[in-house]
Amino acid sequence: MSAHQLHIKKFDKLLIANRGEIAMRVLRACHELGIKTVAIYSEVDRNAPHVRFADEAYAIGSAPARDSYLVIERIVDVALRSGAQAIHPGYGFLAERADFAQACYDAGLVFVGPSPRAIRIMGDKQQARQTVRRAGVPVVPGTEADLSDDQLRQAAEEIGFPVLVKAAAGGGGKGMRPVHNPAELPDALAGARREAEAAFGDGTVYLEKMIGEARHIEIQVMADSHGNVVHLGERECSLQRRHQKLIEEAPSFVVDEEMRQRMGQVAISAAEAVDYVNAGTIEFMVDRDKNFYFLEMNTRVQVEHPVTELVTGVDIVQEQLRVARGRRLRYGQQDVRMRGWAIECRINAEDPYNNYLPSTGTITTVRLPTGPGVRVDTGVYPGYEVTPHYDPLISKLICYGETRAEAVLRMRRALEEYRIMGVKTTIPFHQHMMDSHRFLSGQFDTKFVEERFRMSDRAALENVEAAILATLVAHRQGQRASQIVAPGERDTSNWKWLSRWERLQR
Amino acid sequence: MKYMSTVNGREYVIQIDEAGQITVDGEAYAVDFEVLSEGGILSLLINNHSLEAIVEERDDHWEVLIHGELYSVSVQDERAYRLAKARGATTLVTGEVSIKSPMPGTIISVVVEPGQEVSKGDKIVILESMKMENELRAPRDGVVKAINVKAGANVEKDQILAVIGDGELVS
Repeated sequence: MSAHQLHIKKFDKLLIANRGEIAMRVLRACHELGIKTVAIYSEVDRNAPHVRFADEAYAIGSAPARDSYLVIERIVDVALRSGAQAIHPGYGFLAERADFAQACYDAGLVFVGPSPRAIRIMGDKQQARQTVRRAGVPVVPGTEADLSDDQLRQAAEEIGFPVLVKAAAGGGGKGMRPVHNPAELPDALAGARREAEAAFGDGTVYLEKMIGEARHIEIQVMADSHGNVVHLGERECSLQRRHQKLIEEAPSFVVDEEMRQRMGQVAISAAEAVDYVNAGTIEFMVDRDKNFYFLEMNTRVQVEHPVTELVTGVDIVQEQLRVARGRRLRYGQQDVRMRGWAIECRINAEDPYNNYLPSTGTITTVRLPTGPGVRVDTGVYPGYEVTPHYDPLISKLICYGETRAEAVLRMRRALEEYRIMGVKTTIPFHQHMMDSHRFLSGQFDTKFVEERFRMSDRAALENVEAAILATLVAHRQGQRASQIVAPGERDTSNWKWLSRWERLQR
Repeated sequence: MKYMSTVNGREYVIQIDEAGQITVDGEAYAVDFEVLSEGGILSLLINNHSLEAIVEERDDHWEVLIHGELYSVSVQDERAYRLAKARGATTLVTGEVSIKSPMPGTIISVVVEPGQEVSKGDKIVILESMKMENELRAPRDGVVKAINVKAGANVEKDQILAVIGDGELVS
């Protein structure tokens, strides 16, 4: 039930089951390929650009995603009603739901992505680990679940300390304990079991080798329905906070061509193990000795795909559509070359000066940076309200340079040019990072942002300028208010006149 | 016009005269200021140093975006500044304190009663002046020792309206 289950057929009209910047990204690829587009939107997204840019748009429910962007039957129904023959899921929402892919196939629609089977296997951590290990992919050394204490103690010696005790039903760091020597093991096992039992109702634990100073590096793969699989090189995604990526780049500072091809071959093996078709990403943990271990596979287009596009010249989303139409990949592995350097900064509606507190509110002004080597993927607009319903991503700012240094300089320049008002954003975080010596010298791991990176105090350099500007605008507003009517004709206060005047200007 | 403008805890006294000349804390600045579109981009030349910024008004402050950094600026003219001081926006106060009228006006209402316990920042008296309602708030935690005015009373500048003191028994 693998490859043959893919509906391969030509389509000339596609529904985008997403919103925001990724909906815009897919729309653009469709327009370039002459594919007609169908957008869906929740009631708060009526004014969103993906609605305006699409050929057709259909309301599918209220703001909470479970009442709109996650309602499979409604989305499939809109596709059938509108005459779309294919669905692109983007990322997030339904993108990695095997039942959604299945519902598309059952309705005779092309799902732009892999088979439901591949999604299902890769979506289950233990199953994914076992499947790729059989295909010769290195996984973090560890034990099976459900061993006795004696067996665990013996296994720990074999793996080598430090080890990590993990809950089989785990997630969110619960039931997880680092163990540095044999003496610590009994207590750690007991503690982890207690915590796992309380959190998940299942006290089963297993051991995994603890990887210190780990980097998160991933390989982009692209597979067609004719058995061809190529990799498009790596992305360095170690700059994270609470497992959320903040900055990605391609290539990686620590990966040379030999390692790239080794990682690439392993990634291709992992994809082939599930008869993978379409774009996918294999995430690896890389230790300080450059050993790499399979973490998981994302069976969809990735948020950070643009950095790979810039350095390889491959339009990944167009390629997804071509593959879904049954075309062969137009290039072999030897045709894929990385050239130059690309960095992506995720601009989120969060306050980096206040522990990254989500910042909600209405975006009042947006002016995007432009110029050489700058790309902005965004879905927000003046009047857009940042709500807790959707993710806080405002935009992705991607800069390209011949070298990493040039890309960093471009990024600094572009961050400075970016104008966004109404909510606090992570732009100052990225500005700090672009000035960080550790970042510039490529010396960071997945714990860097949380454990060793500090925002300096709010920039005090331009206090006077800020004070002058605000005072001038306030002054001008006051002056204008008093000029609306001549003294004596006024029947109420300046302040009331002012607000009346402002209303007239709207 | 004289303004007290505060950014990141630093207060600047900014004066703008009729000809548009500007001094900051007494120092003259050659400022050229252009608005490119309403609510949009501003161009500022300070001593020929060029700056592009966005300034937008929020409820009680201004937001200024310069080079990616967002500044929150409170701008008060002299009247608003005196009111803010009278409202208790000052530092920690102990001992018996009087709430004085910062300007001539009419008492709209007295929110508290003698003997009532109050916390710093609680409304005490609402004063109308220059057709605006101004809330005068407790400058410290304590007990209302005296209320000297009633609703409807006309008051002069610096008239004592109420007294807040320590929490001993009030007869």
